[in-house]
Amino acid sequence: MKNINCFLFLIIVIIATSCVSNEECQKERSVNLEIGFFEKKLNPLTNTYTFPAISIDSLTVRGITSDGKLIDSILYNNSKKISEVNLPLNKLDVQSKYKVTFNKTVDTITVIHTSTTNQFLSLECGCIKTFSIDTVLTTNHFIDSVKIDNHTVNTLKLSNAQHIRIFN
Amino acid sequence: MRNIYVYLISMLICCTTITALAQNQNLTAKDSINAVKILKPSQVAKTIWWKGHTYIQVDAASIVRSTLMGNETYSAEAGLQLDLSHKYFPVLEIGYAGANKTSLENVQFKTNGMFGRVGIDFNLSKQKKESKPTSNLIFMGLRLGITNASYDINNVIITDNYWGGTTQIPYSNIKGLQAWYEITFGLKVEVAKNIFMGWAVRNKHLITQSKEGEISPWYIPGYGKNASSNWAISYTIGYKF
Repeated sequence: MKNINCFLFLIIVIIATSCVSNEECQKERSVNLEIGFFEKKLNPLTNTYTFPAISIDSLTVRGITSDGKLIDSILYNNSKKISEVNLPLNKLDVQSKYKVTFNKTVDTITVIHTSTTNQFLSLECGCIKTFSIDTVLTTNHFIDSVKIDNHTVNTLKLSNAQHIRIFN
Repeated sequence: MRNIYVYLISMLICCTTITALAQNQNLTAKDSINAVKILKPSQVAKTIWWKGHTYIQVDAASIVRSTLMGNETYSAEAGLQLDLSHKYFPVLEIGYAGANKTSLENVQFKTNGMFGRVGIDFNLSKQKKESKPTSNLIFMGLRLGITNASYDINNVIITDNYWGGTTQIPYSNIKGLQAWYEITFGLKVEVAKNIFMGWAVRNKHLITQSKEGEISPWYIPGYGKNASSNWAISYTIGYKF
């Protein structure tokens, strides 16, 4: 009888706990493009290049709409000692364009992401867009070259790596 | 009102358990007479595996749960179970369930449809040689459940807070077979002549799990809320033929 009582108590606990549900989204939903800044250095002795990470003394980043207007909200506003930026991609367009001011030199970066995927997370979290980077176009005032290291941009954070590396 | 329902269910469970204990110890003389009934040779083979009992049962817990949950989730189910030598109890369960759920972000989920389960229960209670036969049982069992219910997820909106704009993604009439298995444990007790009541705890495991990012239902008829595993309780009221 004692065992049966314990078992009944267990059942009641199961029922009670099964009725408690957390309806807030607990999943990661931010999808950001990670860009790192590097310097392209030629070693004259070995005639090879090295690519050390650099930090920008002053960096300002703003989005540019498809019709060429600057977005009011500034992503990075004269931020100091920046070696990496996380930028939002345009969920409703096939490209995201940014005006980037490296110290006092201005460049534009255009990230083309023609293939976006709707990723359903849950009823609580809804749906997010993930991206696949096709091409990156830049002006070349401060920027020397660009390399796409990871084409897929999703909720996963890259450890010690970026989607794009920009070389000075 | 909700507390009253919970209290009534608890009382029913307790009553069933107490009756089960009482029934094990309290058999009538009539049962003893039946136990020594002489059979014809042609009936012997049939009787070894077929006790001639069929149970029809309905799940009261799902109806009570539906009442408590309002329109958010609802279900009703019934089953047909055979008694093979009072050891094996193959069962077929059929039901109808659905859900109407709106998330905090106003995403609306709707589904309804039939589901079915097949499986078997094994009687765990040992019959002592000197004791009189009993119809009550403690059982453990397995089920395989399936449903082909379609579902809609409406008002899924993606908003771009930086670049501006919103888009709505329609997920309408999504179809897909969902399958799961269940491990059950419970009691069944004859509370009056040929009338049985019992409860079972069900540990459910979804076989057809969707991959991360794939569209998936919030609720699966017969299984419950979509998760890799689920717990449920059923409280059956049945009639033995």
